[in-house]
Amino acid sequence: MKKIPVTVLTGFLGSGKTTLLNRILTENHGQRIAVIENEFGEIGIDQALVINADEEVFEMNNGCICCTVRGDLIRILGNLMKRRDKFDRILVETTGLADPGPVAQTFFVDDDLKELFTLDGIVTLVDAKHVHLHIDQSSECKEQIAFADVLILNKTDLVSPAELDALERRVTGMNAMAKVLRAENADVPLAQVLDVGGFDLERAVSMKPTFLEPEYPFEWAGTFELGEGRYELVLDEGPDPSMDLAITLLDQVERAESPAACERAVRVWSKEAPVVAPGGSIDAGAIAHLRLALDAAGVKRFAVRVPRSGRVGIYTQHLPAEFQMRLLERGEVRSPVSEREVTPGHTHDDEVTSVGLHLDGALDGKKLNEWVSRLLSEKGTDIFRMKGILNIEGASSRFVVQGVHMLVTGREDRPWDAQPRASDLVFIGRHLDRQALERGFERCLA
Amino acid sequence: MTSTTKQGPSELAVLWQSEVGDYVAAAAIVVDGELAVLGLGDGAIVGIDLGTGRERFRRQAHFGGVLCVSPSPTGGQFATCGSDPAAKVWTSDGELVRGLPGSGTAWVEHVAWSPTGRHLATAAGRSVRVWDAEGRIVAEPEAVESTVTALAWRPDGTAIAATCYGGVRFWSVEASAVPLHLAWKGSLLSVAWSPDAKIIACASQDRSVHFWRLDAQADSEMSGYPLKPKALAWDSESRLLATSGDIAATLWDFRGKGPEGSTPIQLHAHTGAITCLAFSPRKGFLASGAKDAAVVLWEPRRQPRPIRHAKLRGEITTLSWHPRKRGLLATDDRGTTCFLETL
Repeated sequence: MKKIPVTVLTGFLGSGKTTLLNRILTENHGQRIAVIENEFGEIGIDQALVINADEEVFEMNNGCICCTVRGDLIRILGNLMKRRDKFDRILVETTGLADPGPVAQTFFVDDDLKELFTLDGIVTLVDAKHVHLHIDQSSECKEQIAFADVLILNKTDLVSPAELDALERRVTGMNAMAKVLRAENADVPLAQVLDVGGFDLERAVSMKPTFLEPEYPFEWAGTFELGEGRYELVLDEGPDPSMDLAITLLDQVERAESPAACERAVRVWSKEAPVVAPGGSIDAGAIAHLRLALDAAGVKRFAVRVPRSGRVGIYTQHLPAEFQMRLLERGEVRSPVSEREVTPGHTHDDEVTSVGLHLDGALDGKKLNEWVSRLLSEKGTDIFRMKGILNIEGASSRFVVQGVHMLVTGREDRPWDAQPRASDLVFIGRHLDRQALERGFERCLA
Repeated sequence: MTSTTKQGPSELAVLWQSEVGDYVAAAAIVVDGELAVLGLGDGAIVGIDLGTGRERFRRQAHFGGVLCVSPSPTGGQFATCGSDPAAKVWTSDGELVRGLPGSGTAWVEHVAWSPTGRHLATAAGRSVRVWDAEGRIVAEPEAVESTVTALAWRPDGTAIAATCYGGVRFWSVEASAVPLHLAWKGSLLSVAWSPDAKIIACASQDRSVHFWRLDAQADSEMSGYPLKPKALAWDSESRLLATSGDIAATLWDFRGKGPEGSTPIQLHAHTGAITCLAFSPRKGFLASGAKDAAVVLWEPRRQPRPIRHAKLRGEITTLSWHPRKRGLLATDDRGTTCFLETL
């Protein structure tokens, strides 16, 4: 029997949950949906069943927080399933202050529900304008972000592009697994919100570990829109005798500050940087990592060649302002169309982070099992979510795992076939020790 | 030559079988009317003549699915509740007698007729109401700490117990010595009062069965079930407590020092998790139903082996013994309903 997908909507009061819910219910998708909500909202719909229930968080008698479940969901969903005309989908809208942990755990813990339902995804709405009021003070706000499979930055029209970029960096720093969408009035394509279960795992683990730990070697990234031709990069005296720089061509609408472009820059950065003296030239078409020699006194000028019209990304080891760096076209300053400061390490010192691990060799199933069991029994409280696609020695198929706190489920997935075999494992949690996780994972190699 | 040692249990005779068309979520036998009442997943109630198996009536009783059917012990009437905010009382001809509204919009999830027939209890959300036979509210105690998960009358009908997350609450309806509250930090799912009224047994979400000896003011926990137990059944002598939570029925023996520290009797025959358990009103027969669509009859005080069995089409959802005759009503989640002849 096919399990019924459950989508959980979380987000603080005013983040747009009800607007999104109404859109899901009124848009013609042909699905029969039952909604369980803990907040009384203004909902008027015909084709869906809306059930109001008090949120009831149950701790088990053993006192383990990882076994905390939502009793109201167990009861109501159990009753709902006694119908022949079953629902195609269940939506659970939580209260603004709800901890998503117990909701997710319910579908792993309860014998009856795990047989009938599958947690498709946790969708968290973030009020782009007001989230800063909660994010530092409220553990619920952080957990809602950390648990999400899809993060919708909503009300984007109320903030500047720079503020929005900063917010996206912050939330992806906390939760690198989630797909991030931007919306003005919760107007996101529903296909991006429903049925995420199928591909969120792929997405989550396809993120490279370098990105998952956003400690970039550069402090600034800027996007320029330039025509083909020659430019001049000019720097005044600054605090350092040299500065590393990377320059790369971007796709039409790509921004240098985007996670994917930053990730490419990190890879470029890892190559050795030839020193370029003042008067030397830089080729934007060569995706280059360079070291500008800046020890001479006075203004330093470098020639920059752009081989085609379009966007160019520049990454610098220090902030351009420290050297009064500017790009000139025939003497005129060309400003970046967008830019971003990339402070090394965690901008906000968030205790909630993501750690992604990647290994090329095959894993020993037994060792892996032992490591994961031990890890979760010791650190399960701090590990919110875990997802992975694993290459187990002797297995012809991919093995996929998913976890919430101490609870893990694993299953065989499709065959590897021609796909390169590798293991990716992602953790989201509080106070994660990246090095210890890396070491532990490596010890699972066969 | 015939083999006599390897044969399984023989089949229970089917008095009649009927397909009612939807998940049978609740069922009861109404005496003095010889009626089987089935509550369906689509909100309908169906009355079937116990003698012939013919459908006598079908009514849309509740907006969502039916959750409970409770027969009047004195016959002639039954009460139902479902996914909407009122319980209803019906005659055995399927005529509505009255509605018993809950407070507000919460579903009335439980309705239970008292063993004397003088009262009815309903539970909606965190509130319990007690009604008299004429539909007047006689008690409306303060709401409990979380949604009521089950109701059970004291066997003499003088008090009612309600379980929820946090323990068991009691209210005395007629002069009766009952505790007010048995606290338990956990989610209780169902409750069964022993026929001698001395023990309250509850199944718990954390895969255990908890019971309180009301006289001795002592309690114990039976843990280690592989699945969440829910079905609880006492034999008529208050000696054996049968519990689900496994593919085997697990029976605790309260004779002598009681089950604490003892090994339970486990009855193995099903290949799916047990969903229903019911002891016969006399003679100590136990009927078990499971997700494997099988109904099995046992005589657990004599032997741990099945003595009769029957097969329906889907997961067994209810089992009800006829209070006076040799008959067992069994239903499943595909709408199959059987009246089986028992020993």
